[in-house]
Amino acid sequence: MPVSSRGSLDRRRFLAASAGAALSAAALPGCAASVDSGSGAKGAKETLTIMDTPWTKKDKQNAERTLGMNLEIVTYDITKLNAMLAGKNPPDVVRGIGATDVPYFAARGLMTDLDSYFAKSDVLKPSDLAPANDVWRYDHTTKKQGTGPRYGMAKDYSQDCMFWYRTDMFEAAKLELPSDTEPLSCDAWLDLGKRLAKRRLGKVKVYGLSGTPLGGPLTQVMWMAASAGGSLFAEDLATVDFSSPEALKALTWYLDYAKADIGPSVVNPNPDGWDWPTYQANRMAMATDGYWFGGTIGGDAKIAEVSRFAPAPQLGSHRISPCFSGTGYWVPKEAKNKDAAWKYFEWYFGGKPAQDRATTGWGIPSLNSLRSKMPRDTAFHKQSYAVQQRELAYFSVLPVSPYAQVDALNAVLTKVLPDAVKSGTSAGKIADTLNSRINEQLARGKELAG
Amino acid sequence: MSTDQLAGPDARSPMRAGTARPGPARARRPRSLQTRRAGAFYVFAGPWLLGFLGMTVFPLGYALWLSFTNSDGLSPKARYVGLANYREVFSDPDTLASLARTGLFAAITVPLTIAAGLFLAVLLNQPIRARGLFRTLVYLPAVVPPVGAALTFKLIFDRDSGSANGLLDIFDVNGLAWLQDPYARWVLITLTVWACGNVMIISLAGLQDIPAELLDAARVDGANWWQSFTRITLPLLSPVLFFQLVTQIIATLQSFLPLLIAVDPTPKGVGAVPESNQLIMIDVFAQYFSNGRYGYASALLWVLFAFVMAVTFLVFKMSRGLVFYAVDPEQTQSKPRTIGDN
Repeated sequence: MPVSSRGSLDRRRFLAASAGAALSAAALPGCAASVDSGSGAKGAKETLTIMDTPWTKKDKQNAERTLGMNLEIVTYDITKLNAMLAGKNPPDVVRGIGATDVPYFAARGLMTDLDSYFAKSDVLKPSDLAPANDVWRYDHTTKKQGTGPRYGMAKDYSQDCMFWYRTDMFEAAKLELPSDTEPLSCDAWLDLGKRLAKRRLGKVKVYGLSGTPLGGPLTQVMWMAASAGGSLFAEDLATVDFSSPEALKALTWYLDYAKADIGPSVVNPNPDGWDWPTYQANRMAMATDGYWFGGTIGGDAKIAEVSRFAPAPQLGSHRISPCFSGTGYWVPKEAKNKDAAWKYFEWYFGGKPAQDRATTGWGIPSLNSLRSKMPRDTAFHKQSYAVQQRELAYFSVLPVSPYAQVDALNAVLTKVLPDAVKSGTSAGKIADTLNSRINEQLARGKELAG
Repeated sequence: MSTDQLAGPDARSPMRAGTARPGPARARRPRSLQTRRAGAFYVFAGPWLLGFLGMTVFPLGYALWLSFTNSDGLSPKARYVGLANYREVFSDPDTLASLARTGLFAAITVPLTIAAGLFLAVLLNQPIRARGLFRTLVYLPAVVPPVGAALTFKLIFDRDSGSANGLLDIFDVNGLAWLQDPYARWVLITLTVWACGNVMIISLAGLQDIPAELLDAARVDGANWWQSFTRITLPLLSPVLFFQLVTQIIATLQSFLPLLIAVDPTPKGVGAVPESNQLIMIDVFAQYFSNGRYGYASALLWVLFAFVMAVTFLVFKMSRGLVFYAVDPEQTQSKPRTIGDN
């Protein structure tokens, strides 16, 4: 096809211009990143960026309409969050697990102190905050969680070492049901798990006990050591001691549990990542999950009919029932729209979403004033509510070290324990290995966090 | 369309360009063809160059700088530690073991993948019925996203509810903990080799490029299938296979599949990757995002980079005399032909 020479020249220029445009387009987002999205043009809505689990389109539209702002939902991803924090371009609101996230991020000065916002709020009054919200406090002087400024708030909470059980499986095994008021000893609990487990040809067809609470084997040892009257972490949270009599007892319990192969453990992790699919499939007799798990069970009438809630078992005589979650939100120090973030806080934690959540049984409301809305309409809900109310007397927060992320410490346990279980290494030797590896990590973290 | 037209009105004669355009009394000095070509090159290569600088060179340089610090990516108190991270890389038994495991993994999976892909390509190059369907079926695993494939493998090989053990159950055979040591390595190898469709498709293209008359001539000369395959097909296919060898080695040394078939493929779950599947990239990921050791992880990445370069260099060296090019590659090093050359 003949093409005019003039035309071919234009095309070349056009392609060159396109290349220039491509460059400009590539450069624009970089420029945009440095612009405060909160101070848009006159009449333009501000945009609040929230890093959270995925939202439905309908929920997002409802929230935007109510709040009068645009929401940008960034799916929660710790690697992305770290990159955004390091690049000083974090989301305005971030989902987090108060009990385990706060020490690490607060100690590094990455969270916004929200005390001034709480002080002037008519919706979220400190006097109405449930004690579980203290997991979102961090004192820079003592370097401990539980006191000091508030850096976030829990949407709800649970006491994560309580457990749910299936009455039909207990009855089939001709076992007495656990008490609603008196906690089982950990040994009796393990024994029940062994009796409830069903096997066939090297496979566990029904798990007797899923015995690890939220937070993994680390929090399990923390809980049991505390129940035995000791502590895994030293007073300054800079070292661990798995060799102390209480921690060693807790570690021994975990090794016995893993060796018994009666439920998910570091040796045979749960492929689903959480208990519900197995529990619902009639393949788990006892599941260590807090009150929040009742929200799922309550959604399946058949399972709810044969499910009951029980107090947290105890390894020793010191009765405790810790919270390892307190999932909620925080505002990064470098967030650009802090006022808008607070507006979101008031709506989400004190508005209709909070009231709706309270009625579903997905955790205990983080505002005391909402506790009366917890479900009590069925026999299942009545039993779980009553057990939970009594358990609140033993609520406790076990401080986590600010010098390493819980995931990092759990990674050491999941690396060391499987081999130890298979080879039958003594608990004492395993404790020494864990002390050495974890304390090395904590020392490195202490150098950086100061 | 002639090359003149492609190059514009003044491609051949700057003088002609000067007279062809009406312009101001003082004529502009015409740019040479070479200058304009260079300009066009930079315009078109510019975006890629910027991307390369911004997304490859800068991160590499930044990672190099980080590797000399004890940074956790978040703390302002990070400091320069010199070569301490590199010394740790070469003295940490866990890291050395994961490097050795990665080498072993590559040594097993690369030949297996290439052999399986070539075998399937030879089969699917035969004049059989429904050949297109078979080609599609064999290529499909390569199209499945690795995350989806890994999830499926996890479900199949789960100890207590997976179909692999379900099958054994039918024959009253004890189930195995496939996703734990010592079997996890073999599940990973199977998953890697299962996606050999890419190798198959490239080999198939190579096979179809082999002149039929050479094979016909060999047949006339009395060569059997095996002789034709080893004396004609393989030598002519060797550049294609060599290309695949190099790219497969590089990809395998950076394999991230072990994390995808782990129970929880996040920084939280990285510790649960069975020891036999703890390849170097898993170690890097764990150090970055689980342990927050950005400095040490960056040093690991640089060591891996050097390792990949060294292995690739070795493979090139060892391939001399084994790869047959239709054209001597040395001769193609001369000035490349461009549009306008006659």
